[in-house]
Amino acid sequence: MANLDPGQLATIITIIVSGFVISIGTITPTIMEGKAAIKALEGMARQPESAGPLRMGMIIAMALCETTNIYVLLVVLILIFANPLMTTFFGG
Amino acid sequence: MDVINHKVFNILGMPIRDTVIHTWIMILLILTVTLLLRKKMPHMLETTLEAIYGIIGGVLNTDNLIPYIPVLGTLFLFVLIANTMSIIPGLISPTADVNTTFALAMIIFFSVHFYGIRQKGLWGYLKSFSDPVWLFPLELLGHFSRTLSLTLRLFGNIMSGDLIVAIVFSLIPIIVPIPMMAISLVSGVLQAFIMTTLASLYISSAIEMSEVPQKKKKSKSSYA
Repeated sequence: MANLDPGQLATIITIIVSGFVISIGTITPTIMEGKAAIKALEGMARQPESAGPLRMGMIIAMALCETTNIYVLLVVLILIFANPLMTTFFGG
Repeated sequence: MDVINHKVFNILGMPIRDTVIHTWIMILLILTVTLLLRKKMPHMLETTLEAIYGIIGGVLNTDNLIPYIPVLGTLFLFVLIANTMSIIPGLISPTADVNTTFALAMIIFFSVHFYGIRQKGLWGYLKSFSDPVWLFPLELLGHFSRTLSLTLRLFGNIMSGDLIVAIVFSLIPIIVPIPMMAISLVSGVLQAFIMTTLASLYISSAIEMSEVPQKKKKSKSSYA
């Protein structure tokens, strides 16, 4: 570890952090999306005549939950491809 | 995130990206197909319009939907075809670029205010921002953050779909990317639906008349 120059160290740290962030950051929104789907499907099973509005609400709610996933993905992509700290301190 | 160079050429010193070229190709495609359909089989156009009418009418509860069809229907068709365009080899999705989605979100932002002001008048619309007065900053923040989230949702979904297809394609180029492409197609259609639904929701919340609570307040004070 002592032989690494700062750029290599920063790359290693970035990769480790990216993997950690994308695994933690996608678990919670996905669980919540599953909860929304469970509730909507229970409602549809109980009252099949109200399936249309329920499905629409479920899709909108799941898309709104999905936004957090996308934010995490964007942060990770910026960390990997366009890391502002790397370009500032280590010259790319 | 400029992994590859996107700039194609300059017009008057302004760089033109390849996204713009593909948007022009897409516009030509839509125009050609629409003109052909109008000549050969007009029923297809009617069916498409009925579907758009159904999507918007499910959210926007007004008596007259006609003023809102041009903006929202065009938005739906544009986003739908732009999302699914990368299935054709050689073409890329214009919505996989954050500039296109930001432009779409800005169109939604301004059309929400336009319809709100047209429905309520300028003063009435501004008053609806601060219904309880202390909610005014939150309301203002909400208008900007919803534009940002519209931008990033569409961009992230489409770009991540394309990226996953590209990664799988670089590992195993035969047969294996097909399910990923199917998933990205489904997600593209779903995102077009969601974008239109959210735009209609925002317009619906801008044009709703909140006269019922005011009347209640008046009646209460008159009783007291």
